[in-house]
Formats: sequence, C-alpha cells, structure tokens
Amino acid sequence: MKTTVARFSVAYHQLIDEHGQPRGALPRISPAALRRLYGQMVQTRRFDERAVRLQRTGQLGTYASSLGHEALHVGLADVMRAEDVLLPTYREAGALMVRGVPMEQLLRYWGGDERGSDFAGPQRDFPYCVPIATQCTHAAGVASAMRLRGEKRVAVCCLGDGASSKGDFYEALNLAGVWRLPLVFVISNNQWAISVPLSRQTACATLAQKAIAGGIPGEQVDGNDLLAVRQVMGRALTRARRGDGPTLIEALTYRLGDHTTSDDARRYRPEAEVSAAWKRDPLPRLRQFMAGQGLWSAADEEGLIADCDAQVERAVAAYLATPPPAATDMFDHLYAQLPASLARQRAEIAGAAHG
Amino acid sequence: MAEQSTLVEAVNLALARALADDPTVVVLGEDVGVNGGVFRATVGLQERFGKRVMDTPLAENLIAGVAVGMAAEGLRPVAEIQFSGFIYPAIDQLVSHASRLRNRTRGRLSCPMVLRAPCGGGIHAPEHHSESNEAMLAHVPGLRVVIPSSPARAYGLLLAAIRDPDPVVFLEPARIYRAMKEDVTDNGEALPLDVCFVLREGTDLTLVSWGACVLDCLAVADSLAEAGVSAEVIDVATLNRLDTDTLLASVGKTGRCVIVHEAPFSGGFGAEIAALLAGPGLMSLLAPVERVTGYDTVMPLARLEHAYIPGPARILAAARRVMEH
Amino acid sequence: MNEPAKTFTLPDLGEGLAEAELLSWHVGLGDHVVEGQPLASVETDKAVVEVPSPRAGEIERLCAQVGERVKVGAPLVEFVGGAGLDKSADTGTVVGAVAVGSAVLHEAAQAVGRSGAGLRATPAVRAIAKRLGVDLGSVTPSGPNDTIIKADVERVARIYAETGPLEPLTGTRRAMAVNMAKTQAEVATAALFEDADIHAWPAKSDPMTRLLRALAAGCQAEPALNAWFDSEDMGRRLLKKIDVGIAVDSPEGLFVPVLRDVAGKTPAELRAGVDALMAAVRGRSLKQDELRGASIMLSNFGPLGGRYAVPLLVPPVVAILGAGRARDEVLAVNGEPAVHKVLPLSLSFDHRVVTGGEAARFLMAVRADLERAD
Repeated sequence: MKTTVARFSVAYHQLIDEHGQPRGALPRISPAALRRLYGQMVQTRRFDERAVRLQRTGQLGTYASSLGHEALHVGLADVMRAEDVLLPTYREAGALMVRGVPMEQLLRYWGGDERGSDFAGPQRDFPYCVPIATQCTHAAGVASAMRLRGEKRVAVCCLGDGASSKGDFYEALNLAGVWRLPLVFVISNNQWAISVPLSRQTACATLAQKAIAGGIPGEQVDGNDLLAVRQVMGRALTRARRGDGPTLIEALTYRLGDHTTSDDARRYRPEAEVSAAWKRDPLPRLRQFMAGQGLWSAADEEGLIADCDAQVERAVAAYLATPPPAATDMFDHLYAQLPASLARQRAEIAGAAHG
Repeated sequence: MAEQSTLVEAVNLALARALADDPTVVVLGEDVGVNGGVFRATVGLQERFGKRVMDTPLAENLIAGVAVGMAAEGLRPVAEIQFSGFIYPAIDQLVSHASRLRNRTRGRLSCPMVLRAPCGGGIHAPEHHSESNEAMLAHVPGLRVVIPSSPARAYGLLLAAIRDPDPVVFLEPARIYRAMKEDVTDNGEALPLDVCFVLREGTDLTLVSWGACVLDCLAVADSLAEAGVSAEVIDVATLNRLDTDTLLASVGKTGRCVIVHEAPFSGGFGAEIAALLAGPGLMSLLAPVERVTGYDTVMPLARLEHAYIPGPARILAAARRVMEH
Repeated sequence: MNEPAKTFTLPDLGEGLAEAELLSWHVGLGDHVVEGQPLASVETDKAVVEVPSPRAGEIERLCAQVGERVKVGAPLVEFVGGAGLDKSADTGTVVGAVAVGSAVLHEAAQAVGRSGAGLRATPAVRAIAKRLGVDLGSVTPSGPNDTIIKADVERVARIYAETGPLEPLTGTRRAMAVNMAKTQAEVATAALFEDADIHAWPAKSDPMTRLLRALAAGCQAEPALNAWFDSEDMGRRLLKKIDVGIAVDSPEGLFVPVLRDVAGKTPAELRAGVDALMAAVRGRSLKQDELRGASIMLSNFGPLGGRYAVPLLVPPVVAILGAGRARDEVLAVNGEPAVHKVLPLSLSFDHRVVTGGEAARFLMAVRADLERAD
C-alpha cells in the first residue's frame, strides 16, 4: 500500500515585470526610497563599468562584474539591518556598497590589496570568499553564535547557482534547518557558473527546492525586480529574527557580463540568449516604473548619472592614490602577536626594503 | 586541587575550566554532547553547560566551517573532529579560512578557534583511525599545531590554545589517552605555546619528539643512563611555531640529535627540525642527525601497527649510532 | 546576408521627434557589445530612453558627446569593420593573466643522479681539525663508514704536538713530491746492479766525464734506454741525441739540469758543460729550458756516499743510471786475490718499455767503457 508522505511546491514572486508594469498589489514604499534605491542601482552599474575599464587599462587586477545583478544586490542589502551580517561571494558589489563599504575599498580588493577587506563600514560582515560555497558553513557558524546569544540578528549568505552544488552548501543548509538558525540563504541564480549553464549544473527544476532537503522553506523571486526582492527578503529576515528559522531564496537573474575580466563568455554563450537577457535589465525596468508613476524625469536621470560618475571618479582617484602596502604587512596580521620565529623573517624583509 | 588524571581526563578538565571561566567558549562536534565524546573527552560538559555544548550533524567540513563563523562572531569554539583521520574534509576550512581570516581582513576579523582531534596509532583501531598528519597542518602559515605528551601538558596547553587569539589544531595522541596518570592541578593555569619543554637534561645527545613517542624517548634515556650515556629529552609540543632556540641550544650542548615521530619519514615534521640543525645548528653537530619515524608507507592496520610505530628498540639503536661519533 | 553596418545612427524615436540629448554612454571604446545591449541613454522631451545596439560588434568610435543634441539619423557609434563578432585573443584563463613567451627551449639529454665521495667528517669535527692545525688527509678515520671523528683529530693533534710544526713544501721540494708520486704511480721500476773495476783509470780522472762517456756508450750499444715513453698513446720515441739529466743535490732541493748532446762533446766540453750547470744551480740562475728534455738520467751520488740505490726516473725518460762511491775491493783477478778500486753501478729502468735484456746489455756496455783506461 502506498501513501504520499510529502509533497512540495515552490512559489515564484514578481511585482514589476520587465516592462516596468506592476503585477498586482505593490507594497508601500516612499518615492524617496524608490529614488534612493534606483540611485544605488545606477551607482553600482557605473562603478562596475568603471572597474571593468580600469582592468582593461591595467590599473585593476581580475574583476568579477556584477552587471545585471543590481536589483538583487541592492535589494537584499537594503532590507538588512546594520547589526545583521552579510557573507557574500565575490560579485555583490552593490550589496557591499549599500552596507557601507566605500567604493575605493572594493577597488583595493580587486587591485590586490588586502586593506580592501578591512571594511570601513560594516565591521562584522565577511570579506569576499573565493573558495566556492565555503561561506555557507561560516554563515551557519555566525547564525549559531547569534542564536546562542539570543540576539535579534540575522546572517545573510549569498551564493551562486554553481555553489548550490557544493557540499558546504548542503551541510550548512542541513544545520540551519536542524538548529533553526537565523540564516537566510540567497542563491543568485544568474544561469551560468563560468561556462556551465544551469541545465548542466543540476537536475533540479528549481534551486529553491533544495531547501526541502534541509527541511526549511524555499521560494523563488525575480532577481531583477527590486521590489519583489525587497519583499521576499524582508519576510525571510523577519522570520529569522523572530526565531522561526532559516529561509532559502532563489533569485532568478542573468550574468550579463563575463565571469571575470579574464573570461570571454562569447566562447560558450549564444549571442541571442544574451541579447534577450538585456531586455530584462533591472535598471530600465525600474526607471520605467518610476517614470510611469510620475516619480522620475529626464533631468533626474541626467543629474543622477552625473552624481554617480563623480562619486566613482572620487573613489577611483582615492584608489589610485593609495600608498602601496608595506611588505611587512604580510607578517603583521597573521597572528595577534608576531611570534619570535617570524620576527626574524619580518626583519629580513624590512631590511631588504631599506637595503 | 590536584588529582591524578589521565591525558583524556586532563582534556576534560581543561574544557570544563575554559567553559566555566569564559562565557564565549563553546564546544561542538559529533557525539560530544549526550555521549560525552567517543573517548569521553567531553563527558559531563553538556550537563553542566547546556546549549554551549552542541552535538553537530555528521559533517567535518561543516564543523570546521561553523567554527570559523562562530569565532569571527566573537565566540571561542572548541570543535572536535572524532579522529585525525577524518580531519581531511576540514582542511579546506582550516587552510582557506581559519588560518587566513585575520590576514585577509588586515585584523578586522579573526579566528580564535581550536580544532581538537585524537591522533596516531597503537589502539588497534580500524582503518583511518590511526593517522599522524601533523606535518601537513604544520605547513600552513597562520595555523598552530599543538600536541601534548602528558596529562599536565594536555591541560595547560589546551587552555593556552583556547585562550589564544588565533586558530590552533590540538592533536591528542590516542594511545596515551589513558596510559598513565599524573597530578593535574585544575587551577586554570595555561602553559606557554611556541615553547619546547626540556623534560630531562643531558650532555651526550638530544632526543627530540612530540606526542606519544616522548614517553618512549624518556624510557630510552633511562636505558642510556645505565650505560653511562646522558641523554637530553625535549618535547616539542608546538610544531608551528617551532621553538628553534631551545632546540639549537640543546644540540649546541650535546652535538648529537635523534628525532622521533610516528608520522612517515619523508617530509615529516622531523625533516623541518633536521633542516634547522643543518642550518644554524650545523657547526654544533658531531654526528649526523637521525630520524626514527614511521615508514613511508600507509599506516598499516592493527596487525602490523607495532612494526610501523617507532618504539624504544629503534630509538635506542639510533642513539647508539650517533654515540659512535 | 547583409554585411552589418559600420555606422549606427540615432534611430527614429517616434512621435515626430527629430533629435535627442545624449545623457550618458553605457559603453566605451573597445567594448564588445551584443545585439540589444544599451549603448546610451538619450533624453527626449518626454522620457529617458535607452538606445540598444543593433548588432554585435566592437565599438570603434563614440560619435557624440554627453550633453550634445543628436539628430535622428546622425551617427551615434561606429563599429569596427567586419561582420559578426570580433574574435579577440583568447586569454586562456579565467583569472589573472598568464604571460606568453616566445622562447623555445632546446634541452640536451641530462644525466640523472650522481654519487659523491671524499673525506667524511662533520663540520664540527672539521672546525676542530682546523683549530688544532690537523690536516684531515693525514687522519686515519675510526668512525663508522670511514668517518673521521673528534677523537681521531685529537689523537693526531697530540702526535703533532710532539713533532715540529708543519713545514709546507715549496719550490723544488714540492716538485719532487709531485714528480716522485707520479713516478711511483706510473712507472714499472726495475733495477739492475753491477760493479765497474776502475783500477785502470789514470790518476786525476774525472768520474763525472767518465760516467757521461760511459752513458753515451751504453746508449749507443742499446738505444732502447735513450728514449721517451708515451704511456697514453702507448708508444716510445727513440731519441737520436743523448741529453743527460744530471741529478744535483743542493740546499734548495733536488735539481736535474740537462747536459745536451753528450755523445757529441769532448771530455773537456763535457766538464765545462757540467761546471756551467753546477754554477747555475748554485747561483739559482738555471733557466726552465735547462731543466727540460732529458733523454736519460744520471745520479752520481758517490761523492755523498752509498753503494747501490734504486733511483727513480721521471717520465717520459725510461732509464736512470746511478753511480755510488768508489771503494777498494778484494777481487779475484786471474784466480788470485787483488785489491782493485770498484765503482758501484745501479740502473733503474721502466720495465713497461725496456726489457731486462736491453737493460743488461746497456749496463754491460757502460761497465765496459768505465773499465777502460781512457
């Protein structure tokens, strides 16, 4: 005799479609907030384009562009509280900027300077994480500490579609579920893990349904819809803060740029697919929505772009003017106190610098 | 209050002391809570300290990664890996993150975690339960590796490891977990890290070791004394960062050195000490440096364990060889 | 299939608008764009509009400035010529930059592995030896694997303490050490002894000139002893001229100056020649040339004392005649004892190239010449 012991369904959320048209009732948000958010998205885009250009002119190392992810990154960070902790991958420039990391620090990181990860803003946020998905177990640890101390804080773990294949993700998901951790997983499903498309990454119909394996709720959202991202994130953060446990959010978006500035996606992506994805670009969609509401004019756009570019240029100037790190920096942050045996090596390099 | 404790009991005492004195200390691992740990290292802790002692799901990578996250958030996690042979999935988190977080963020975040694991063979265990992998961990900049050889040193060094602001891998030799008792005063006093312990002074040769092999070295020193040879015995205790001064001073005095470890010969941590002696220590040497170690083979199963692990006979033979010079 | 246009003009924006102000560029020079990718934002009276790229390509020129009013149909961007995507170089990596070099390696086959040898002593032992002034080469090792241990060095140092300080060999002494070692290592020395009855010599005979003449007679009788042996090429050269290397003892050591063409000189010339060489030795004015090229050697050690010897020849010569001190000897002469002066002769020869028979014949000829009255 057979009975069904479990079923699952996965919801998909969208509030504004790709033409900037509302789909149903919208949450309340002030015009000022909308303009601010759009401004942060544009700031992210202008920064990103400038960073790519810096790399192309040899003034920045390999850079991972966030082109096309602006709504997701700005949206998820906007609804976090200052005391929450963000654990990013390495593409969430917009999220870090909203959280208060100055643009010149991001440039320093990509410029190969560890001082870029000594965030001026959010002191407890984790730095960019290169080993894929390893930040998921860190997030579980951070959330464990929060829960142990009874704090009303949440850990937000960003990961990509490729990362969702990795053991670290499943292990963290499992722990989050069984320990009821205040942890929100945000999978930025931009359809590509370097050259591996989603269809070759997993047999799952959705990445959100991996939540079922952890016994936690999972849902999809249109990652290019700022308002939907904010709404879904906001609800997940509230749940976690209340002690009701973790959520997995799969945000659907598209990686409009290359994996990094050393990659050439034209080697493996059909041009038609990329062209079609440009039509779902989050920036014009929001702008058209705001214009439709009478909240945004051409003058606003012109002024915003000028402001953003000026901010970016100030950051670039600050980055380029950064004095080079001392070679002894390699030693000074390995331990709280430099061990005697390392002091000799440090002296050697300090001497060489002056010798 | 001194009581006679075995090494594993001393570990338990240190953990309890740390949990009692510092509310940020937590203990996590498989079977550490209700079961008190498969070697009973954490017995009684969950009863006393409740939710600060956590049973985790079965996932070594997770345990290490969660410890990183907890430590960055201001806790002092003491994570247990059930056997050093299962530390391999955790190496990514140890090497990629624990050892680097402070450096990566220029001191903004740091990782004061301890990862404990029983290590070494000699307990007739199944495959994978007898590993000596301290050399691969000691090779990681930013990661300390500490190995006690007695109950008192286990107590003092574990407290030091927990209090250290940077990550420590604490490997406990399983075959001496209960081999002897010693007076251990539960006074919360830590021993220094980064320091070798001269357990016995001598003038003719220096026996250098760590972990369970230290006991064999002490026994061999007794035999040598009967034959009129005075051996100095050093317990290295902290492998990375190595106390080179103590080692060089000792061999500077005796001119002869025998290094003993259970782990395989080539690329073992004994090679690092031999290189030290061939470098700054060269002019002191009267005899070639001898290394008495496990062979360059996979750790055998129980039937052949005794043939693999360096015991007093092999150590004594090496001591005699250096004394020919 | 149409070739894509190089120049993209501002398209018709609809609603009868004839121009628009360029608000911002979304692309830069050299960017590779795809169809549909926004190139710029332009402002009309009504709205801000994005202008999408009509094609994929590489931006070659931006034809308007920000703030400029661009007419519909006027050039906006120019693409790098050619259809389809420009295939820029594959970086061959996904992070960083992997340098490409043009050097081509040509490696010769290489020997693998080597083994070493030499004196075995630890650095500490070597330091002790140096401090005590002990030459490790003179120390017999007693450690395992022939290792010199501290006790060995100390033993030798005690021995040195009971002897004088080390006197380094220089000049001719050094040369002798080197040459004799070489001789010992290479030459198959064999010896033959004889006595020459010289009671028939007139008074005031000059032994040196008589010996030189006898030597020449020996070489004439047996040319095999006036030769050079080339051990490497395994050959010998029989020499026409007899150039005798004469061993001379001096305070500075052993010299072997060469008297040329002994067979072609009169006794007076022989004497004069020998005198000149002796003077040069005493005056330290011997030229290098005068020490080279002997075809046979002579050691008249009689004036110093001693009867027979096994003198060592120096390659490439193959023979050396030694003459000891003449003495009165009771001989059997015609069946009756008689006291005659006897000159002891010792011939060493290189048995690699000279046979015993040749040596014997040579020596008999030498003796015969010496036993003549004049």
